[in-house]
Amino acid sequence: MELLQIIPQFFVSGLTFGAIYSLVALGFVTIARASQIINFAQGEFVMLGGMVTFFFIKSVRLPYLLSAFLAIGVVIGLGFLLHLLVIYPLRKASLPILLLATLGASLFLSSSSALFFGTLPKALPPFSGKDLIEIGGVSLSAQSLFVLIATFFVLFLLYLLSHHTHLGKAMEASSTDPLGADLCGISRHLMTFLAFGVSSGIGALAGIFITPLFYVSYHSGTLIGLKGFISAVIGGWGKYGGAILGGFILGVAESLSIAFIPAGYKDGVAFLILLLILYFRPKGILGSPFIDSRRW
Amino acid sequence: MRKSALGFISIFIFVLSFSLVYSAEKSPYKIGVNFELTGPWAEITKTLRNAMVLEVERINQRGGINGKPLELIFEDNGFEAGRAAANMTKFTKDPEVLLVVGPFEDTLQATTRAIAEREKITNIIVCPSNRVLREMKQRWGFNIAHNDIIVSEKLVELSLARKYKKVLVFHAAHPLAQTLAEYYKRFGEEKGLKVFISPETHKHTDIDMTPQLIKMKPLIEKEKIDAFYACTSGPPGPIVCKNLRALGMKLPILGTHAFGFGFIIALGGEAMEGVEFPGAKPVVYDQLDENDPAKSINIEFDKRWRERYGTPSDQIAGYGHDIIGLIEDSIKRVKGKVTRGTFRDALENTKGFKGTHGLYSFSPTEHDGLSKKDLVFVRIEGGKFKRIRFPGFE
Amino acid sequence: MVEPVHQDFRKREILYSLALWLLSLILPDPQLHYRREYGLRWRDLFYLLAILLLPLLFSDPHFHHLMVLAGIHGILALGLTLFLGYGGQISLGHAAFFGIGTYTTAILTTRHGWPPFLAFWASGMVASLFAYLIGKPLLKLKGYFLALATLGFGEIFLVLIKESASLTGGVIGIFGIPWFSIAGLVFDTYLKQYYLVWIVLIGLVLFTKNLIRSKVGRAYMAVATSEDAASSVGIHVSRIKLEAFMVGAFYAGLAGSLFACVMSTATPETFSLNLSVLIVMMVILGGMGNLYGPIVGAIFLTWLIDTLAQYQDYSLPLYGVILILLLIFFPDGMGTRLRVRLIYLISYWGRKKRREKVNL
Repeated sequence: MELLQIIPQFFVSGLTFGAIYSLVALGFVTIARASQIINFAQGEFVMLGGMVTFFFIKSVRLPYLLSAFLAIGVVIGLGFLLHLLVIYPLRKASLPILLLATLGASLFLSSSSALFFGTLPKALPPFSGKDLIEIGGVSLSAQSLFVLIATFFVLFLLYLLSHHTHLGKAMEASSTDPLGADLCGISRHLMTFLAFGVSSGIGALAGIFITPLFYVSYHSGTLIGLKGFISAVIGGWGKYGGAILGGFILGVAESLSIAFIPAGYKDGVAFLILLLILYFRPKGILGSPFIDSRRW
Repeated sequence: MRKSALGFISIFIFVLSFSLVYSAEKSPYKIGVNFELTGPWAEITKTLRNAMVLEVERINQRGGINGKPLELIFEDNGFEAGRAAANMTKFTKDPEVLLVVGPFEDTLQATTRAIAEREKITNIIVCPSNRVLREMKQRWGFNIAHNDIIVSEKLVELSLARKYKKVLVFHAAHPLAQTLAEYYKRFGEEKGLKVFISPETHKHTDIDMTPQLIKMKPLIEKEKIDAFYACTSGPPGPIVCKNLRALGMKLPILGTHAFGFGFIIALGGEAMEGVEFPGAKPVVYDQLDENDPAKSINIEFDKRWRERYGTPSDQIAGYGHDIIGLIEDSIKRVKGKVTRGTFRDALENTKGFKGTHGLYSFSPTEHDGLSKKDLVFVRIEGGKFKRIRFPGFE
Repeated sequence: MVEPVHQDFRKREILYSLALWLLSLILPDPQLHYRREYGLRWRDLFYLLAILLLPLLFSDPHFHHLMVLAGIHGILALGLTLFLGYGGQISLGHAAFFGIGTYTTAILTTRHGWPPFLAFWASGMVASLFAYLIGKPLLKLKGYFLALATLGFGEIFLVLIKESASLTGGVIGIFGIPWFSIAGLVFDTYLKQYYLVWIVLIGLVLFTKNLIRSKVGRAYMAVATSEDAASSVGIHVSRIKLEAFMVGAFYAGLAGSLFACVMSTATPETFSLNLSVLIVMMVILGGMGNLYGPIVGAIFLTWLIDTLAQYQDYSLPLYGVILILLLIFFPDGMGTRLRVRLIYLISYWGRKKRREKVNL
């Protein structure tokens, strides 16, 4: 049957998307692990990673690698600024207000990007030229492999950070038990500050790896951020492994579902999966089954 | 004092400032401009705006029309129907506004045309008309872009010239793309082409069309399709080309006239090599025939544009130039007092106005200015647009 | 003996409690937190007159159009304020109900020839029906999860609208919706639409006032304060939350119907996340736990967006910055800080006078 022949191709493109969503989700989880805050502007960091790199390459005429590093640096700086200007002043505010503040920041970042860089979409060249890898009738671009490698590399780094460094443990402590962390001398706000930097760096890295696959424009951050957030929730809230699992589940499910239903519903599938998970197991597949527990 | 009272007082103050702004001004021929100055098309509408400003300044320096200068009033509708409607209403209520240069995007033109019909003011729209609107036979709406009929006819000629027998059409989910696909199929099959319109569609904002293309791959291989028609505009065009090549499919790609922008090549990169489409004349103006009046107009306009803005002009700037030219030409032809009604009649009687895109002609039954002769065959080679010719198809 | 005294005492008790009960029906209970809301005062009359006379003072159609839009946003914010303002539950998908109302009216009036008045009520009902279907599973979530779930529902709604071209006209939408008309009176100018929208809004305000001071409203506030305590008193928590959600959706449906008749087109892009965020902003900025606050918030934000539109390119970044600043400096709504300052100033002056009197 025709359908069976093309399913492997869908699966492979689903893996690519899965890696993308996982990268973005890791950024969300980093901040959530440090402070219980959801940063809706995470998608904008991904977009900015690609945009700023493009800017450095085209307007300042720097080599690709240098532009990438500089872009990551710039976006980390922006992440720090976001914390200082938006999150820190609202440290005592209630949930709806924090939510809206990060949404406002996301709006500001995407529209300022339209202002500075123009509204037309930009493309980055793929890392290794246009090689195409053909395995058994299924084509895969080399760039997708790079994204997969990047995802696992970042996961590895984050695992090292949170389980094998003092800083990582401090971050986790400050979100699980703020009072206890304060008593131990851990500055909660410093932890959140650093977490914002780390997650924006991850986002920028994700952007640089992802952009050569498609393009980047001022509004591409919103949807990717949303899907990354959904992945983090699906896989298991607050766990790095959950982010990866959620990302791949979302990517593959989305791609496979297109084989059976018209392609326009693709975004709807993501939200449908979200609603199902929220209904049956709100904390995600790897998360705890109790919605009110303080630990993940 | 309660917060609500404070709120109301501040409202009063703000509203006062409103009424001050809207006090009437004494000025000349006013042209309302209702563009999507923010939103995804902002850069393109900026080019339009710059072109119109350039032309109006040139006319005013010469003393205007009948001694009266032209004035452009720009309003942004942010790509929202509500604001487009509000801007139209604002312009129609101002008695000095002669006409409105309408939205750039297809989704908004229905709204503004309806208001133009009701309020009896001319609405010049930059995007192509579509069949539904044409059937309504509105008197006050005029389109200056190449419409779907002529683009499809030209594309059929291109397919015949290249001797394609079977073509697969992949179109976007908005009405213009749908009618383009339908006309292509109708005209193509009249001439003996076999046209498959894929049931898959994509949206304007999609960044990856690989799933739909994967679903089409079996059909392409089974039917041995000769060419792929990416019936879309904007970023999805080059993305489809990129996705096709990434899936290893090497068949030739046909595009719509919306492929004629520099950013399309930049976005698609190497995947755009060999893509062919019916392009507007300004896209390859230096490669036009010597006896084509559009060539000299384009060269002259491009020189002016470069002097002022320093970048090369493109087909959008050409539209801006042509709009002002048409307005000037129509006003000059009005016998007697220039009102909204007389302006509309003069515009409707435009015959053979020479613009950067070609010859514009309107008539009571035809409110689309350009014809098939105003399109040329374009091929992307070496990252640039190249005009190609086929004997017998001009 | 003890018995007769007790009997007399009991009779007096009953008489007093009867009298008190009668009084309580008329007078507002001083123990209640939101007592400003109860009863009508002079300032309400002032607001009413202001709203009715405003369009006659400023006959600029753009102003009318803006106030019509503000009124529709006001209805939306009023609906959401029950859920978000009084209850503290976040709904990021409220624009979906607005869209449901608009599309219901659009389909009923253009395809089935319903009179707009009937379609108006039908829109509200359909929207609250959807709220029932969605709310039943979703409302047991809290906090971020509820926000995310409502966001998801809103987006799914958007995708469904864009895809079902046969029912909703897909990406193009439906156009040609007739003007709103009741018994021959057609609302075709902005002025008439202004009165239509604001009279509906006033009616809904009265209804909501009544709702809040009723048993249902108090039960809802009890749930908002502490769900466990409320359920221990016998309040059916999930049912109350669902009712508040449905009422909010009903208002949104009505607002959507009015919007359809004002715009005469229905396009899917209008009902995106941006609109949901805007409505939530109106409620928060107006003040949570307030009835007039969200309406003022609606007027303010509608006016703000229109003014910012003049700055074209800079409009959205400015909007983002202003939002964040407003959230930082006025987290309880715009009026509270100002009011506190003014009351402090006025009372300081009063205290100074008293001190001077004593010193004399």
